[in-house]
Amino acid sequence: MQAPVGHLLRRAGFGPRPDDLDAFAGLTWKAAVDRVLAELDATAPEDPKDFDAYEPGAIQDQWLNRMISGEGRLAERLAFFWHGHFATSNRKVQDPALMWSQYRLFRSKGGGTFTELVGGVCKDVAMIRWLDGNANRKGVANENYARELQELFTLGIGNYTEQDVREAARAFTGWASRHHKFVFKERFHDHGDKTFHGHTGDLDGDDVAKVLCELPACHTFIATKLLRFFTHPEPVAAEVREVADVLAKTGSIRDAMRTIFMAPGFVAKERRRALVKSPVEFAVGVLRLVGAKTAPIWVHGALERMGQILFRPPSVKGWTSGAGWLGSAAVVERLRLANKGASLAPEEHADAIIRCALDDELTPELATASAAATGKDKIALALGSPEFQLA
Amino acid sequence: MDRRSFLTHVAASGAVIATPRLVRAASDSRVTGAPTVVLIHLFGGNDGLNTVIPYQDPQYRRLRPTIAVPDNQIRKVHGELGFHPSLAGFQSLWERERLAVVNGVGYPQPSYSHFRSTEIWHSGLPDGLPKSGWLGRVIDANPKQRPIRAIALARERPLALQSSRPGVVTLTSFEQFRIPAELEAAAKLYEKQNGAKGALGQVARAGAGALKAAKKIAALKTHRGPPYGALGNRLRQVLALLKADVDLEAIQLGYGGFDTHANQAGSHANLLAQVGSSLSTYQRVLDDLGIADRVLTIVFSEFGRRPGENRSGGTDHGSAGPMFVVGKRVRPGMHGAQPSLDDLDRGNLKYTTDFRAVYGAVAGNFMKVDPKSVSGGIKPLELIG
Repeated sequence: MQAPVGHLLRRAGFGPRPDDLDAFAGLTWKAAVDRVLAELDATAPEDPKDFDAYEPGAIQDQWLNRMISGEGRLAERLAFFWHGHFATSNRKVQDPALMWSQYRLFRSKGGGTFTELVGGVCKDVAMIRWLDGNANRKGVANENYARELQELFTLGIGNYTEQDVREAARAFTGWASRHHKFVFKERFHDHGDKTFHGHTGDLDGDDVAKVLCELPACHTFIATKLLRFFTHPEPVAAEVREVADVLAKTGSIRDAMRTIFMAPGFVAKERRRALVKSPVEFAVGVLRLVGAKTAPIWVHGALERMGQILFRPPSVKGWTSGAGWLGSAAVVERLRLANKGASLAPEEHADAIIRCALDDELTPELATASAAATGKDKIALALGSPEFQLA
Repeated sequence: MDRRSFLTHVAASGAVIATPRLVRAASDSRVTGAPTVVLIHLFGGNDGLNTVIPYQDPQYRRLRPTIAVPDNQIRKVHGELGFHPSLAGFQSLWERERLAVVNGVGYPQPSYSHFRSTEIWHSGLPDGLPKSGWLGRVIDANPKQRPIRAIALARERPLALQSSRPGVVTLTSFEQFRIPAELEAAAKLYEKQNGAKGALGQVARAGAGALKAAKKIAALKTHRGPPYGALGNRLRQVLALLKADVDLEAIQLGYGGFDTHANQAGSHANLLAQVGSSLSTYQRVLDDLGIADRVLTIVFSEFGRRPGENRSGGTDHGSAGPMFVVGKRVRPGMHGAQPSLDDLDRGNLKYTTDFRAVYGAVAGNFMKVDPKSVSGGIKPLELIG
């Protein structure tokens, strides 16, 4: 049987283009997964010569263009996942160059080991500004980062104590930024003994990150979040355990992704079209299908009205999910975007685009409506359908 | 828990209530529409101690050597408690008998996490799983069916409005709700797939509800004139919704920036100025429109901040804090006891009033539904006249 390529490319990337279906045609499932994973090896693209992060909208535009191009699809998709996981907003950071350098961390390390990624995040200047690292000094700890690191980034609530928060905050004292660089400010660092998750000593930020990444609660937490994003909103315990075991053994996110894609449950019928596309996923999916090479200017306003501006998640908790994306205004905007996207499509490719958008599996309701429409309206109908809102 | 009522607090402290009548005469104006609760969440944890200031307590200045508000700037509307200097609007509401301040509001075993504490306040369930919102349950208690029951001025539905019934929608602008004619065919698909199984059905039902509400709201126009500013703009949308008699039970909105870990003096003053002045103007419009009897506006934050300032000129996450209930139907003045600054729990205030005492009062005395789904068995405060 031919691999359900569309399904894989909606999960491992931002959705298929008609030519992707040809490129993956005839591959076994394992070969298709290998191919997607192999794309992680390519080095991240250089920023264009004229790229200026301070130009309004430039960082959003540049990232959307990379998602639309489909090069490094899983790497971009993982970067998008980590952006939502370590959710940092430029609302407070107030420096798009720092936001961009955080994105580059997610883009280059997002498929590596979780420990290395967390280590990078702990020294990331946008994160330091976001969670008040510069205010965290010996004797006057600021607990913001120490708390969110455990609650939202590694363990989840209930898996740490208030003492762990206080001690981690002490360990990160003096981990600060100067201009655009991470600096360790020795005079602000607390060298006293700390006890953190059963480890006692003169712990620093690296020690804290290492301890956290070795805790079983961390493997379970990250496995669950990956599965919710890539497989199904409600993963079952056995699936979580399998992915958590991989994280415990190798710590490699790439290995975890292989386990996720190769699990028999991943391709099960009820797991397909089971995730509500976020606005970015929806918009990029549309633009890829209609053959856009770059993000049109109007897409930024549309994304805002649908509720997702890159680099500005609503809070450190990250984006919403599922039906949370389908507020009244957002649904109207999705229909409008489907219409605008369809207007970009070459009309002679309408059938190929619709087949690719819906895996050639139209529900009777959609088939009837589609039969009554023609040309670009037919494309808009497919892209605006309830089916297409699902990945 | 040592919850004390308003009157015992007054008796115990000997405080003088500067303005309002203790007991309001029953309102004689006619209630024209269904009552609507407007819930405003100050995101990030508002620093209650610099909002309603216990200016007589010497500990206040000891705990806050750099960020305490100078005594001569405090708006001393009450014998022990005064408003931050930026809160001219609250002073005006106070003098117009439109403001009830509930002091020391919190819940047992406080969480210092924004998210967990937000979940607790929104759900109204300090112990249980946050599956529904407290206003959602108030809505559920009303048997009347309506196409739109509650609106969140937000991109995503807040937990507070999570209800077991349809009709809770999100809104950012009225214009966003207009469905161009050429998109009608796609819009109809959501209605047709209503009964589908799994995620498709979920999307179709959410989408169909969203589109139905859209048509109704697209016809509205934002209230003209003040209040202006980020919060004022939202309140003008609220005014348009209230004026239009969309027959809503609840409107929820948020206003952010209260997570003042560093250099808070200036930013906190600006935030409070926005809150005070826009609410004061908004309430005046409601009074002028003659619909003030059916609107109750509640302002809360997920926690107060720590009494002791940090070395960054800010404050870290704390526990109890004041709530503000604005409207013509409130019993104006101070309610609930101000927590002691001499008796802290690991540096944080001990709450004196459980938020469920406020929720119960809103449900039972304003919305006129059985308060038991939100009161948690706690006696409601006498907040509503």
